[in-house]
Amino acid sequence: MGYEAILVLLLAGVFLIVLANFLSNLLSHKSDNPAKREPYECGIETIGPTWIQFKVGYYLFAILFLVFDVEVAFLIPWAVVYKEIGTVALVEIIIFLFILGLGLAYAWKKRALKWE
Amino acid sequence: METILFYILSALIVIFSIASVSSRKILRAVTYLLFVLIAISGIYFLVDYSFLGAVQLTVYGGGVIVLIIFSVLLVHHIELELEVTPLKKKIIAGLISATGLGITLWAIYTFPFTNATTYKSIEVADIGRKLLGYGDGGFILPFEVISVLLLAVIIGAIVIAKGKKLNE
Amino acid sequence: MNIPLNITKTIHDWLFSIMPEGVATVTEWVIVAAAYLALFAVVGLYLVLLERKVAAWFQLRLGPNRVGPWGIFQTMADALKLVSKELTSNTKIDKFLYNLAPYFVILSSLIAIGVFPFSRQFQALDINIGIFFLFAISSIGVIGILLAGWSSNNKFSMIGAMRSGLQTISYELSVGLSMLTMVLLTGSLQLSEIIEVQRTGGWLIIQGHIPAIIAFMIFMIAGTAETNRAPFDLVEAESELGAGFHTEYSGMKFAYFFLAEFINMFIIASIAVVLFFGGWLSPFGITDDITWFPESIWFVIKVLGIIFLMMWFRWTFPRLRVDQLLTLEWKYLLPINLVNLVLMAIIIWLNWTI
Repeated sequence: MGYEAILVLLLAGVFLIVLANFLSNLLSHKSDNPAKREPYECGIETIGPTWIQFKVGYYLFAILFLVFDVEVAFLIPWAVVYKEIGTVALVEIIIFLFILGLGLAYAWKKRALKWE
Repeated sequence: METILFYILSALIVIFSIASVSSRKILRAVTYLLFVLIAISGIYFLVDYSFLGAVQLTVYGGGVIVLIIFSVLLVHHIELELEVTPLKKKIIAGLISATGLGITLWAIYTFPFTNATTYKSIEVADIGRKLLGYGDGGFILPFEVISVLLLAVIIGAIVIAKGKKLNE
Repeated sequence: MNIPLNITKTIHDWLFSIMPEGVATVTEWVIVAAAYLALFAVVGLYLVLLERKVAAWFQLRLGPNRVGPWGIFQTMADALKLVSKELTSNTKIDKFLYNLAPYFVILSSLIAIGVFPFSRQFQALDINIGIFFLFAISSIGVIGILLAGWSSNNKFSMIGAMRSGLQTISYELSVGLSMLTMVLLTGSLQLSEIIEVQRTGGWLIIQGHIPAIIAFMIFMIAGTAETNRAPFDLVEAESELGAGFHTEYSGMKFAYFFLAEFINMFIIASIAVVLFFGGWLSPFGITDDITWFPESIWFVIKVLGIIFLMMWFRWTFPRLRVDQLLTLEWKYLLPINLVNLVLMAIIIWLNWTI
């Protein structure tokens, strides 16, 4: 099979979830009371909003991830042809990773990799 | 079959793009944007350009969307709905979009496309050979410059995110 | 007698011989979908049972042993119970995103399973960018977790999801880079070709010796972290966060996340088997000449070995803190990985591979 396998598996997954949800709704015993509709936290009513401001650390790691993600995307064609190109590819990648390593070292030095 | 899939994917892109800009809940807008990006990668897979499709999924679907979600969560009061745009702004935005659409359509319909006679799917190895080629049509210098660009991104992000502490 | 080898091709030819083309295609699709759904369910249910059994062995207990011999029907009974539970949720959720989140998790793992060659013939999608496709698909799963946590409007869910997002994206880099290290040896991303390379040259972990072993260790650590398993399970640390991002999900909706977690473990183990241990190839080619021997048995044995290793981790190491988790990835695994990539490149350049 070719790419239509993606489509087939996609539809199969949707079918699985829809069917299971339907069966579950059909078979389950239902009851209702106000306490059941509260968020499940500590048994008492929840205090304060959930959707609050999170700290900037998450953003910082996400952007570092994105940088290295792009790097992986560029390294993949390199890795595939490495064997046939040889020396040029080796020199190339040492320079490439050295420059990126500088970035990582900078982040380390500025304590951006430290969770606080 | 492929034509039907193409139209389904295109319809998804159009619908979710509009939903994304018109949704008043910010995280839902992000989700609609994610659907747009996934559908675009679907089109890449459809034209048998699977490398670009996978890059689209990894970098945009997995990377940029997570980054956007984290940046959204940096905002105060995200539980509030965005305010309704005034009619004047809506009209201006609509006009600009219509102009853009018009120019794109005009460009597409006037460009003399030629049908490809030989079909060849692009392998990752072909991309690699181009990327590391130093002769004619090689991209070895841009490949190196990318690493400098990524370095600049890291430094920029750290300066922005830790700006206050660095100045102290 | 080579039926087991060509079972998919036999079915394909048979279908197209008795039906018009359109009907046959659709029938084939349905068969493929049913086969993969069955595989998905069986793998999910039996890995849960295996997890409980292994946990019991490590603690000198018996584990589930009431429902059927050695408790083999225990997880099926659990699944039936989960279906019969009410789907509850609180009133403050973002309903659309709340219902959407399980689709991301289930679909990404289901499509990922389709890429693996379980034997020479049993593979739904032999895509030419195989390894990279797996990397791409697994990066979508994390969005399901983030959406689930955010839409639940529950503080435990929210914190769990944020931790999970951070952890998954961080460790995904190491997974990707260690896979890339092995791609250097094969020169191809297609999974079937990666296995073909190992038929003549030996398993990749032997071909690449030192850097390959380092890559394997990094892959196992990062893979365990990416699937949010102990010791990296601070996403759903029971003692701290209730149930983490799926606190607000009940019944079947909870089961989707639970199932996907075990399937992801299977996926990580399968990637390890294909990239390092020769996929469905038999050790030393001992069953190569026996044409009727089902090769997927070797695949399953190797996968179970890796999964046992991952379950072993769980009972050996204590849970990490968030800062330790990030230090491990960004200050140790990532730099080691980049150096290891260059090391592998140098070794191939010097032709020191075995």
